[in-house]
Amino acid sequence: MHSHANEGVSPGSTEGKIRCIFLSEFHATAGCKISCQVPENYISKEVFDAINVYIIPKQHLQRCILTVNAMEVKIVGYPVGIQDQQKYARNAFLFNLCFVCDSRARSVQYEPVVKKLSEYLIMMEEESCFLSREDDKLRLQKIFETVLRDLNERKVATIVEGDNTIYLKIVMHKPDPPPVKDHMVPLLLANLRDTPLENWDLTTQQILPYINGINHVARIAAEADVETDLVKSCIQNLVYYGVVQLLPILKYSNVYMTQNLKNLIQSTALSNACRKYVALQPDKILPSIQRIFQFYASMTHGVTLRAICQRLNPQNKNIDERKMVIFGLQHKFIRCIQKYPVFTGSVPSGRQKMYTGLISFDEICCKTGLSPFTIEKDIEKDTNVTVIWK
Amino acid sequence: MEVNPLAVILAYFDSKGDRLLYRYPYHTLGQTHKLEEPREELVNKKRNPFAVTHTDDLLQTPTQQSQNQQSAGQLQGFADDVLSALFAVKPQLCNQKFELKLNDVRFVSHPTLISSASTVQVNAGNSQALAAGSSIAAAGAVKKQQMLINIVFALHAQASYSIVKCYHELSKRLGLALKFEEQRSGYLTEQTALMARTHDEQQQQQQPLERTLELIAERCTLAQALRSICNDLCTTGLLSTTLNQNLTLTFCLPAKAHQLHKKGSMVDPETIDRCLRALKPYHGMLLLVDFAELLDCVPPTGARMLWQLVDAYNPLISLQSMASNADLSIEHVYKLVSHLVYWAKATIIYPLCETNVYVIAPDAPLHTRSHLVEKFSTRFAGMSLFEVISDFSLPTSIGHLTTPLQQPARQGMLAQMVLWMLQHHLLMQLHTYVQFMPSDVDDKFEDSASCAHVAAGNLTEEEQDSNHTEDETMSRVADEDPMHGGSMLSMSSQPLPMPVNSHRRHMTDDHFSVASDNIAVQPSSSHKSNFSMTASMSTDNCDSLDSMEDEQKLKELLQVFNDADRAAIRRIPASLNLDDLSLLVKLYQMGYFKSEHHLEEIMYFENLRRSQLLQLLDKFRDVLILYETEDPAIASMYNNK
Repeated sequence: MHSHANEGVSPGSTEGKIRCIFLSEFHATAGCKISCQVPENYISKEVFDAINVYIIPKQHLQRCILTVNAMEVKIVGYPVGIQDQQKYARNAFLFNLCFVCDSRARSVQYEPVVKKLSEYLIMMEEESCFLSREDDKLRLQKIFETVLRDLNERKVATIVEGDNTIYLKIVMHKPDPPPVKDHMVPLLLANLRDTPLENWDLTTQQILPYINGINHVARIAAEADVETDLVKSCIQNLVYYGVVQLLPILKYSNVYMTQNLKNLIQSTALSNACRKYVALQPDKILPSIQRIFQFYASMTHGVTLRAICQRLNPQNKNIDERKMVIFGLQHKFIRCIQKYPVFTGSVPSGRQKMYTGLISFDEICCKTGLSPFTIEKDIEKDTNVTVIWK
Repeated sequence: MEVNPLAVILAYFDSKGDRLLYRYPYHTLGQTHKLEEPREELVNKKRNPFAVTHTDDLLQTPTQQSQNQQSAGQLQGFADDVLSALFAVKPQLCNQKFELKLNDVRFVSHPTLISSASTVQVNAGNSQALAAGSSIAAAGAVKKQQMLINIVFALHAQASYSIVKCYHELSKRLGLALKFEEQRSGYLTEQTALMARTHDEQQQQQQPLERTLELIAERCTLAQALRSICNDLCTTGLLSTTLNQNLTLTFCLPAKAHQLHKKGSMVDPETIDRCLRALKPYHGMLLLVDFAELLDCVPPTGARMLWQLVDAYNPLISLQSMASNADLSIEHVYKLVSHLVYWAKATIIYPLCETNVYVIAPDAPLHTRSHLVEKFSTRFAGMSLFEVISDFSLPTSIGHLTTPLQQPARQGMLAQMVLWMLQHHLLMQLHTYVQFMPSDVDDKFEDSASCAHVAAGNLTEEEQDSNHTEDETMSRVADEDPMHGGSMLSMSSQPLPMPVNSHRRHMTDDHFSVASDNIAVQPSSSHKSNFSMTASMSTDNCDSLDSMEDEQKLKELLQVFNDADRAAIRRIPASLNLDDLSLLVKLYQMGYFKSEHHLEEIMYFENLRRSQLLQLLDKFRDVLILYETEDPAIASMYNNK
């Protein structure tokens, strides 16, 4: 029951570090045992005895990734058996390289690493009996130490062992990013401008200069002279790696709504970052957080960005309203209220077919290539169309 | 859908060895794999369409292929004996959470160690329950001390942590229930023996395994219970199963149950907990189902209190009033409401009233093909959902949508429709929050400059003038206890002449009215009068001693602010009024101006009226920022885009 003790601490799973790496093998006389462990005695004998069935399992479960989560530890392993009647006392050498995490930590990202490192070890074992020779455990320990330290710190590890070089990298699994649409605006998040351009793939190289948080996808495609679908998939890829975030297109007729605005003032780091980001002229006195807060606070349903700018005149206060909107969207203090025309008549014809309530106003403009003004007039004339803001 | 279980497995282990007694569905797990595998591969491919396949990576490529073959050949069927060996855990692992992930299947369970009732029988002498044990004895089994029962749920590997936790909880409860029934009447011994015997019989006749499992389900009530549990989990996520016709086990899988009301939403228990922890007496409850359906979620023994609450149920009143109407303590009401919310039978709202401001929820599934459109027009004949809801494109209150000239029936109808839309999470309520934030000195300067720009030139003069008069009047404030809100209340009934500085407020009103002009019952500006000040003016008899004291009190009150804030407050004329300032200081010290409490909450806890509060906020609007946003506690139940 003690596994429940700490469940109230933090809900959900967390990204966890690797706590321990060990190699377990089936010894010809001693049976299942841990032959090398870093740090030592992280997995106690009691725990190991309880779960060794899952560390050195039956033959059917060999070479599949097996994660066992019990007794407060989560062990990711890849059990392996090497058959060789000459070399081994029991005609086979069974071993398992395991990573240990906290029982609440996510461990999916380690699975490919465990497997890859195991494959290296299999190869080294087959070539030079690296694992089965009793005296070589010190070298193995060195490898484990490096892997543990480097993967936790840098998520990448490169180890040179004899003739072999081992390359390991943790790749995070993330859900697929949503499809990119024409009217979306990509915004570069990290400071990637410093990365030399030639490090990117060709499409990215071509479109990167046009990603500025203002240009939408269709425009980027046109300006960079790249096919739209290519741009979309390239940006989707960048979104997957968290390099780019997609924002709604910025128009002065947009309406924004605040959410969790208090985070802005409750975190000093964030408010300072905001002040720096939104400044029109960074060399002048930075705008006060009060001003910025007031600006955000005045965003609500029914008030367009244009109206706010006219009223508060942000440029006079060294505030760039466009950057301010971008910062708000990026940190989710504000969200854009989208307009959705809905056709309520019986049989839609022509453009009415688009008015399903699923396609936003921006998207319709982008798809039809018409100006918002034209569409707006079109909708206003049509008594069968209702507009919903959400 | 990753919420649904792939299978439920009953594994059993005693001194004789381990055995997989029953599982549902019957087709081998491998078949789900066959279905799963191509999709899995697709996902993998899609994951990164730009990744170059490392053809030069000599290490990876050949093993990758062999791995695929292997998973095609071996994993296709986790043979039942492999599984039972895995689930017959060692005693050290019993009575705690056990989780095993094999490639893309995650097994979750709570292995339970149960001392067999038959041994108790032997110790206690003969009695009728031995009949159950005797069947084992007849089969030639040795009586054993302990048996291990492991009810395992096979889930998709992608299932989130909270879903896994729910399934673990269910497995644990099932284990406990079986333990209880075993000790009561040897139920488990009887059922497991029956299952084992059926397995043996059918194996001798060389029947296919599926047939055996079907037969077990026909014969054994435990198997039937497990089957219905699995089916219920896949359909509604709510289950109520009676084991051995005696013990009722109720369980709710929130991630699934909440989808009944809102498709595609994933409400995990943590979100619900967060919402429920924020529950306050002023909140209200909105039932999502009919009264009859409510009883599904409570065991009959708990029903009395629930009926008591349901009798008092009204979405127009707060939980506090409901508690007093139902004659229950508020803690009990909280518990009952939390239970109903967890079981997706109710949701938390702010009690429906005319002044509530609603807006369309950002994730409202409003489109022409939505089933809600039809549902709405059946419920409210002749009304179109889109027409009604488009009124809420801008934040709107019921009060705004009705006029006193209309029949009261129309308003009732509208309230019904709003409730319906709240039930379907189409609407969301907005609240006004207050943030204390004095602007900088230079900002202030700019402000007054812009004011002067807008207003006539004589404003500054007048301002000085008004300040002057205020100073004078202030010095004459009667020595009423400033800390007493009650004194203000009593004064508010006095006639209200226009205060001197209302003129200026008028000028700047549209300058600052954004945040407040959506509040439904905003008093018109002519009524925004300063009653406490009027009171002070009407008091004639006063002496200089009092004014000294007040001066002192004002100073003391201002001590709570830091220097910059104090300077900003001093610039506001109302800060010279003892009552206004003391109320402001009180609310400030209570931490109401930190964007964490909406107006309704301040009103509730400080026993203020809306007009009173709005007046105060308006007077001090130079140092306060008002803005509208959703109540984070309630909004967490919505899926924001």
